[in-house]
Amino acid sequence: MSRLIALVLLLFACPALAETAMLKDGDVLRGRFVQERHMQGFAAPLRSEGSFLVAPGRGLIWRAETPFAITTVVTPAGLVQSVDGAETTRLSTARLPFLARLYDMMAAALAGDWRALDGTFAITREAERIRLQPLRPDDPHVPAIAARLGRFVEEVEITKPGGDVDRLVFTRQELNARPLDAAESALLK
Amino acid sequence: MRKVLALLWLALVLAAVVHVASLSLHGLPRETDIMALLPREEREPEIQAAKDRVARSLSGRVVVMVGHAERDKARSTAQDLRRALVEAGLVRPEGDVPDEAAVKRLGAAYFVHRAGLLAEGDRRKLLHGEGEGLVKRALSQIYGFGGAVDSRLLARDPFLLFPAFLGGLPTPANRMSMDEGLPTVVEGGTTWVLQSLRITGEAFDLDFQKRFVAAFESAQARAPEGTRILRLGAVFFAQAGAEQAMGESARIGLLSLAGTVLLVVLTFRSLRPLLLSLAAIGAGLATALSVCLFLFGSLHVAAQMFGAALIGIAVDYALLYFGQIFTQRTDPARRLAHVLPGIALGVATTIIGYGALAFSPFPGLHQVAVFSGVGLAGSFLSVVLWFPLLDRAPAARLNPRLAAAANRLWRFWDEAGHGRARRLVLAVLALVGAFGLSRLQVDDDMRRQQGLSPVLAAEQAEIQRLAGFGQAGRFFLVQGGDEQQVLEREEALDERLAGLSGWQAAARFVPSAERQADNAALAERALYAPHLAAYRAGLGMAEPAERDAPARPLSLADIRATGGLPFLDALVLDERLHVAMVDGDAPSAALRAAAQGLDGVRFVDPTGDLNLLLQSYRHRALMLVAASTLLMVPLLAWRYGAKGAVRVMLPAAGAVLLTPPLLALAGIGFSFFAAMALVLVLSIGTDYAVFCAEDDRRDPVTLVSVSLAMVTTLLSFGLLAASEVAAVRAFGATMLVGVALAFLLSPSVARRE
Repeated sequence: MSRLIALVLLLFACPALAETAMLKDGDVLRGRFVQERHMQGFAAPLRSEGSFLVAPGRGLIWRAETPFAITTVVTPAGLVQSVDGAETTRLSTARLPFLARLYDMMAAALAGDWRALDGTFAITREAERIRLQPLRPDDPHVPAIAARLGRFVEEVEITKPGGDVDRLVFTRQELNARPLDAAESALLK
Repeated sequence: MRKVLALLWLALVLAAVVHVASLSLHGLPRETDIMALLPREEREPEIQAAKDRVARSLSGRVVVMVGHAERDKARSTAQDLRRALVEAGLVRPEGDVPDEAAVKRLGAAYFVHRAGLLAEGDRRKLLHGEGEGLVKRALSQIYGFGGAVDSRLLARDPFLLFPAFLGGLPTPANRMSMDEGLPTVVEGGTTWVLQSLRITGEAFDLDFQKRFVAAFESAQARAPEGTRILRLGAVFFAQAGAEQAMGESARIGLLSLAGTVLLVVLTFRSLRPLLLSLAAIGAGLATALSVCLFLFGSLHVAAQMFGAALIGIAVDYALLYFGQIFTQRTDPARRLAHVLPGIALGVATTIIGYGALAFSPFPGLHQVAVFSGVGLAGSFLSVVLWFPLLDRAPAARLNPRLAAAANRLWRFWDEAGHGRARRLVLAVLALVGAFGLSRLQVDDDMRRQQGLSPVLAAEQAEIQRLAGFGQAGRFFLVQGGDEQQVLEREEALDERLAGLSGWQAAARFVPSAERQADNAALAERALYAPHLAAYRAGLGMAEPAERDAPARPLSLADIRATGGLPFLDALVLDERLHVAMVDGDAPSAALRAAAQGLDGVRFVDPTGDLNLLLQSYRHRALMLVAASTLLMVPLLAWRYGAKGAVRVMLPAAGAVLLTPPLLALAGIGFSFFAAMALVLVLSIGTDYAVFCAEDDRRDPVTLVSVSLAMVTTLLSFGLLAASEVAAVRAFGATMLVGVALAFLLSPSVARRE
């Protein structure tokens, strides 16, 4: 869960850090992703591919197409996951206040206020690479995050305290190529 | 002889005053637990004990929700509030919200036994052969965005059944979640922080209530601007109710006393009758207090409240006596001789009526009965023994207009010329009564009678909604030969309740050993055997760790020892007796039916039981009216003959019969409390009839005295009709209408010439 939050945070916040394309309310960022989960004891990384959409202030739609269709929608109200249109998981921020708090952090980061993040991570930057190191390494919920930035976030590596690693590569990212369609708007309601 | 008796009585009264004064030096010992007023009736002591424990556990709980737009302010205010109450010694320092370490211990204790634990939804799916759905869920969590999946967990729990079990536990307050140690819910931009408190005293102890609410309110006043604080807890309701009742009774006592004084001064236009009347009231109250303290050790607050109302009746005998100054009789002994038979019979019948209260099911009323009986007797003795010696009042002239009015009432019931009007009035009364009877509805709903504060009720509803609390109160008692059997019986009940209501029971947190074995076998059969190999191959997952069964099944003691689920303590009364709390508003009849035929399972609905009790007590109060009537008849027959006794009983009996239908026309239902008032209407009404019957000369003085007595009674009891509390209002309205009717009908008892 926390991994997802950190990721969303990064997606939103990093453009501001890179002083390149800063997302603002009303923007729509679309792109493709490849996610690889390197888990200990697994023969090969678990790979999924699909498209994503970020709309600041409204949320995130994450659609895996392979190995099968999983849609995850993250909004200020919470997270809903469905497989082939059937809901499998639902987490609401009413039940998970830290989710709401992280949204606040995200909003602050978008506005260029880094103090909220400072409390959780040590942030270092080297050219196009940025690292977020948890301040409390023993905290089982906070992963270490490394990312490569271009105009947008190009690559992210998330290392969990247990040693599992998630690698994400984003491609074909377009800012405001087209507005949200009706179905997307409905998902983000 | 007279003087000796008078001095003896004076000595007794003085002794009582000294007794009461010496006790009140250290503060009058008061019994303020109003629970003592509630009826307790349960044939099985085991059930009553369980009910009491559940009631104590519920009433000892206070839930506060602090809401603020800023999370930090909500949190600090909630914590400050708790600290203030703990420091004042009003709230136990140990919280019933588990800390992080306890939650970790709980997770660890469960994890060891995960093979036998299934979320209820997962178990249902597996029973229906829908293992496929669980496989899909696991895959979506592995491949999807986010998710709490990690390789160590997957190796031990490949289908992620354990997180589903933890997430599916029916913990109370299921909309809340822990946010850095505080249960929190965010809604509409407001962060609500919950504080669950256990009070150190009794919620129904008036002194404790006062201190608690005062400390709470002062802490509340320190909260930053924009804070909303919601309250839930018996102590708040009880305090609001008690404050209202005490305020009302103080106001009524004051009004009643002031009205009585004013009436005496206006009627007799002299100080002496007033002082003597006050002396009679004072002597009655002092002896009543002293006897109560001697017998019970402390004064119950109900007796204190009724004591205030007693003033209005205790003064009756003094009023009757002083009515005599409007006659030709100037000799105090002759004045007394003239009224003595009336007031002696009057005090006897009234004490019979009050004595009936002693047989009521409400323990608090026993003291009221003793207090009132002794008080009336004391006031009567003061009139009889002191007044002839101290009375120096010269004869006076009765206000001619009053005299004329009294004469008109006498004549109305007496003269042949008014025969048609009399019949008309009686016919109208009978008709209205009959019409009212058709509208008469009984009202045994305890909740309606209590007059709960609407503000608090709204706050409670909001907390229940925000936090996801159900309505606590109704429960099942589950008994068995040992803990395993109790758990198994809870599981049997669970199947009946599915879809009917939410509920909490130990078995939903710790399945019976049998169910754990069944869960493990079910998962093996319906999930692991058919799906695991393909699932692993698809994921490229290493051989998972051996699903080693632990040496023994998970036990309730294992989980309780972690401290992670503190509310289990309220559900487990002992090894062989559990409480299963109903959490929702399913109809009681359906819940009762669900328990039908299950061994050792019994549905308990305390409010519903109380309603049933009120109903049976309403019947019993009516029996008391009948019994008092029968007790009075021989006394009256001895004085007036059999026919005369019936005639004397008629006005009061008529008032008793007519009052409930008349009140029904005003939309007032007939409750136990109204029935208790009828007991008093009967005895007071008989008093008036006796006073009238004693006067065969139809002296207006008698009727004026009786009307004064009536007005003072209405001033004390009738004012209760303005109460905010439905039970008190019903009592007061019944007294008001009943006593007034009895008065209007009383002159009819004089023997017609």
